[in-house]
Amino acid sequence: MIRRRLSAHTLAGASVMDALDPVSQRRFERHLARCRECAVEVSELREVAGRLAMASSARPPDRLKEQVLGITRRIRQQPPAIDRASRRLYGSTQARPRPIARTPRLAMALAAAVVVAVVATWVVGRPGAFIPDRRTVTDPAISAVLTAPDAVMIDAAIRPGGNATVVMSLREHRLVFAAAGLRALPASRCYELWLVDQGHDSPAGLLPMPKHGMSGPVIATGLQRAEQLGLSVEPAAGSHHPTSPMILLVTL
Amino acid sequence: MKGVETWRRLGPPHGSRGVKGQRPHLAELLSRTAQGDHGAFEAVYDQVAPTVFGTVRRVVRDPCLSEEVTQEVFIEIWRTASRFNATKGSPSAWVATIAHRRAVDRVRAEQRSADRDRRAASPIVAYDEVAESVEHNMDIERVRHCLKRLTDLQREVVTLAYYRGYTYREVAELLGVPAGTVSTRMRDGLIRLRDCLGVGP
Repeated sequence: MIRRRLSAHTLAGASVMDALDPVSQRRFERHLARCRECAVEVSELREVAGRLAMASSARPPDRLKEQVLGITRRIRQQPPAIDRASRRLYGSTQARPRPIARTPRLAMALAAAVVVAVVATWVVGRPGAFIPDRRTVTDPAISAVLTAPDAVMIDAAIRPGGNATVVMSLREHRLVFAAAGLRALPASRCYELWLVDQGHDSPAGLLPMPKHGMSGPVIATGLQRAEQLGLSVEPAAGSHHPTSPMILLVTL
Repeated sequence: MKGVETWRRLGPPHGSRGVKGQRPHLAELLSRTAQGDHGAFEAVYDQVAPTVFGTVRRVVRDPCLSEEVTQEVFIEIWRTASRFNATKGSPSAWVATIAHRRAVDRVRAEQRSADRDRRAASPIVAYDEVAESVEHNMDIERVRHCLKRLTDLQREVVTLAYYRGYTYREVAELLGVPAGTVSTRMRDGLIRLRDCLGVGP
């Protein structure tokens, strides 16, 4: 008994560094619930972890700020937590993906499109038939677009191979993009989205590296009427203007 | 009660003498953010973006993915600002907690899709040497100084866990050390850092 308690106690360091597997984390949290000194220690060690974070500061690309501010402007905030027990380990439950229960059908359709496109033909109008991928539909910014009343879905082929699914909302001035069948790129390259208007290209974000050929969904903001969406391969840090031919061009 | 007192000491009053421009008003800005003040949120972004992006990129490595995760972190900060509780810790630690957990969640999800090999191949020094560390100030120097004062094993387990996102079992495997030893060294390593940094009692 004593041995077990001591052992759980030593997990404090690993816990604040997110270095516990889910089973150990639950065990540690059970221990924490009845160990007052541990709560103090955890809070202190969390501050230490915060210093470690600060020590690796790096300047983010400027465009990221606009993206973040553009998206958050349209996202509803959570009300304060009432249940004290749920925030004993502050932040411990916040970062986990939200449950899928309230996700609308269109959100499921988009996530499913990514999953299904590689194995089957995309059937417009039957979104309910697809099985959603839990991880991809949980982002609130993405759900905001998918639930917009004027959301429209477009499916298009990527030239060397692959398939893109776009859900856009002119009302929200933004779109959600996901792709399947993308080829892997070397570490020095990255897929970049572009909004094209009368020959003018503006960067619309970098795609995460494809996993099993699938990438996204990601959000592009600043969408106007009569534009096209492009995709090209760029240096990993992204470009201000496309430096290679578009491998996808969708008229929105 | 003791816990509350300690938190208070660690909170905003202590933090206000921290990194240049980093913490003086962060708690206040978060509370205004929680009330829907988007201008305050923008100021939060300006203050913590380097910490968030730097931490995320260090764990995630892939530049494209790091941007995406950073974006997720700020969406979460915006959505959950009302959950920040100044009596429970400093605002910068709250932000760092969200950033690090998001980054780690992402690399573990990636790992599960068995797609991390290529990224893992890029040497970590590439990032350590990036001269983009925006704030070369006293606090950062102090963290580095204190890291040097750990034993080799303490430093190794702390940096592998925090900066590379490994679980303690993975660290144990990597170093060929029992998992119990690793978790113990993680804890006493952080405690030594705490004392060296002057955080806590």
